[in-house]
Amino acid sequence: MLGYIGRRILATIPVMAVVGLFVFSLLYFAPGDPAAIIAGDQATPDDVARIRASLGLDRPFLVRFGEWSWQILHGDLGTSIFTNLPVTTMIGQRVQPTVSLMLVTLILAIVVAVPLGVVAAWKAGSLIDRLVMGLAVLGFSVPVFVVGYVLAYVFALELGWLPVQGYTPIEQGLWPWFANLILPAVTLGLVYIALIARVTRATMLDVLSQDYVRTARAKGLAQGPVLFIHALKNAAVPIVTVIGIGIALLIGGAVVTETVFAIPGLGRLTVDAILRRDYPVIQGVVLLFSFVYVLVNLAIDLFYTLLDPRIRY
Amino acid sequence: MTATVAPLSGPPLAKGPPLKAPPPAGIAVATPMPDVIPARKRRGPVWTYVRRNPTIVAGGLLLLIVFLMALLAPYLGTVDPTALAPAKRTRVPSAQYWFGTDMLGRDIYSRVVYGARVSLLVGFSVALLASVAGLAVGLISGMVRWLDGIVMRIVDGMMSIPPILLAITLMALTRGSVQNVIVAITIAEIPRVARLVRGVVLSLREQPYVEAAVTTGTRMPAIIWRHILPNTLAPMTVQATYICASAMITEAILSFIGAGVPPSTPSWGNIMAEGRALWQVKFYIILFPAIFLSMTVLAVNLVGDGLRDALDPRMAKDA
Repeated sequence: MLGYIGRRILATIPVMAVVGLFVFSLLYFAPGDPAAIIAGDQATPDDVARIRASLGLDRPFLVRFGEWSWQILHGDLGTSIFTNLPVTTMIGQRVQPTVSLMLVTLILAIVVAVPLGVVAAWKAGSLIDRLVMGLAVLGFSVPVFVVGYVLAYVFALELGWLPVQGYTPIEQGLWPWFANLILPAVTLGLVYIALIARVTRATMLDVLSQDYVRTARAKGLAQGPVLFIHALKNAAVPIVTVIGIGIALLIGGAVVTETVFAIPGLGRLTVDAILRRDYPVIQGVVLLFSFVYVLVNLAIDLFYTLLDPRIRY
Repeated sequence: MTATVAPLSGPPLAKGPPLKAPPPAGIAVATPMPDVIPARKRRGPVWTYVRRNPTIVAGGLLLLIVFLMALLAPYLGTVDPTALAPAKRTRVPSAQYWFGTDMLGRDIYSRVVYGARVSLLVGFSVALLASVAGLAVGLISGMVRWLDGIVMRIVDGMMSIPPILLAITLMALTRGSVQNVIVAITIAEIPRVARLVRGVVLSLREQPYVEAAVTTGTRMPAIIWRHILPNTLAPMTVQATYICASAMITEAILSFIGAGVPPSTPSWGNIMAEGRALWQVKFYIILFPAIFLSMTVLAVNLVGDGLRDALDPRMAKDA
């Protein structure tokens, strides 16, 4: 068991190294010579060469990659070209809205999708099942920003029930914070709900056809406990797996959702950085998101043994 | 259970008369089956196909409409989608401007119709390119054992960057153009196809008929061509449809945040991007491209679901 955990943690190192290499090459191959930009318009080629040497930009790729990795491992993500602030500071300022949005979405998605999937499997072939599966197809087909604008138009502009855009820090009260997050969370959660509901239904169909479920029913257990205690427990592993994989959807969707709802989070930071070609910031955000994604899935992998004691490594 | 079974009369069957002989009286014989059973109500093959695959047909029809729209864009009552008319900007939908005009006075209906071209081009190109490239990577990884570890670590690394983020990041390296969008989304989609193909290859390698081919000295290219490729076709086709749908969405997202197709080429994503600043007062600018985008992606997804059910009945039961 400990051996497995150790091996599994070690296996993430090459994965992160590939991510690092990709992100580094991004800056390396990026058009535009930083030395020429710093030198200004009046610089001679000699000046540019001198600046390039002083910045260490004339050294080989692997040397620079090694040095860059060393910095990253020490928590230094570099300095923004545009604002001259350290990238870590810029990320720090934007973390709260994104983490809030993702947590609310995650909770909402699980609370909605799992019961939907269970009921769809229980009533397989019925109208409810078709409805849930139809909604899932729709959830996959309607892009995040379309959902966002339609929801914002109906519930914020026309009905005036919720704030239109923006973000309120949690320090200014729980309700204002939450009210601002409802529409973005529903927007972001729709694809995720579709994904989780689909997998929950498929897994539950499998589990419900097993003998012990028939036994549970035969001994007179009520439908609720059979579905949510006996069956769901055994369907947990694939469901938790897809929740972990789906984090990628959340991250990609957050970039768009934050743009639609004008939320000053990491997604918005990414979009701004792309439009300004602020490569150090792009690097930092991509590294951070990928790192979180890898960590979450690592945690889920290690979590399996708790979820299903039959799994032994 | 009141009826009693009458004892068989006549000799036991084993010693019975030859089959061609007329049966002796008392033994009931079924009338010979006709070669073709006449259907009670035969409705023609097309109808049967529609009834069996409603999702493929519905999705396919929808997709055909969008395809025709893209093809016939100049003849559908459109005007030049890039023609500026500042005096007529942000007009609401009317008989003259069916979908209204945008901030620069361009006709949104024309832009939406022409926008179908970009969406379809990106969707189908990415599906094709990512399938071919992913197939190659997956085959190499599955067949060449010593490369497998390296290739899969790279694939794992690429897959740990969320695809939309990966495509956005690649777009930061280049100018916005349709070709660059296609390349960026293709790169982001390749790892998933490679994974799928590798999985199929690994399970096929263990099959007795593949082992037999290896034992009898069939060359590797021949094994791949005869045994491996045909088996990857079905899952690949389904996967390619889903890639097509997701590429259309990614293109729209890229163009929407301003990192995709340049505004001079109308695409559903950048029409919406232009409506972003005014969405609270001129919602229709966003609404029309949004409807077309969603319907097209839905059509592709329906075809994908239909194909999956048709090609893999085992999965049809599950999802």
